[in-house]
Amino acid sequence: MRNRISEFVIGLIFGMGLIISGMTDPGKVLGFLDVTGLWDPSLALVMGGAVLVGLLAFTIARRRTTTLLGRPMQLPTARHIDRRLVLGSLAFGAGWGIAGFCPGPAIVSLGAGQAKAFVFVLAMLVGMGAFEWLERRRKARGA
Amino acid sequence: MLTAPLLYRLMVGAHEMRIDASWGVLVVAGLLVGIGTRYGAGCTSGHGVCGLSRLSPRSLVATLAFMGAGFFTVYVIRHVLA
Repeated sequence: MRNRISEFVIGLIFGMGLIISGMTDPGKVLGFLDVTGLWDPSLALVMGGAVLVGLLAFTIARRRTTTLLGRPMQLPTARHIDRRLVLGSLAFGAGWGIAGFCPGPAIVSLGAGQAKAFVFVLAMLVGMGAFEWLERRRKARGA
Repeated sequence: MLTAPLLYRLMVGAHEMRIDASWGVLVVAGLLVGIGTRYGAGCTSGHGVCGLSRLSPRSLVATLAFMGAGFFTVYVIRHVLA
């Protein structure tokens, strides 16, 4: 139960941070990506601030074997840089540049009742489903 | 995350948000983001924030890739096609 509550509170704080920093506003995001136009550096500052906090948090986390709530500390271990990582990130970046939405802000906007966010999230889930399907096929072929 | 806008409204007030993209554009964007974040194993939060905070070379590459793609896409849409 404690874990459910902490998960909810963490999501709430993250969502609030996204709203307050303006990251749920596609206009602000696209303003950052519009490097040759009227450039809005806000997103870089938001990400920079978050990374500063994260540097501290992960430094602490790396030294622990359990989380603060007593669960096993599980940090990512993948180290390979492959085609999937690069192509996937390029595709994600293209989609991001088209509508100014990425997963987190889109979900928060959905919570705000934005119909367009709902369409985006739906399409995103379909895209994720397509990945699952392709992966299952790939594995079935023993690739 | 879904509840955050409600809390924001209670604490701060109404929050104006404009989404200019058309419905069709949103579908294409969503599909790309959905499939791209799965193959890329992350997004601005996963690679950009957590990955960079962990000093992960994998996340640095991913972040440079999606930032580059984002910059290029907006450049094409706003300054080439427009």
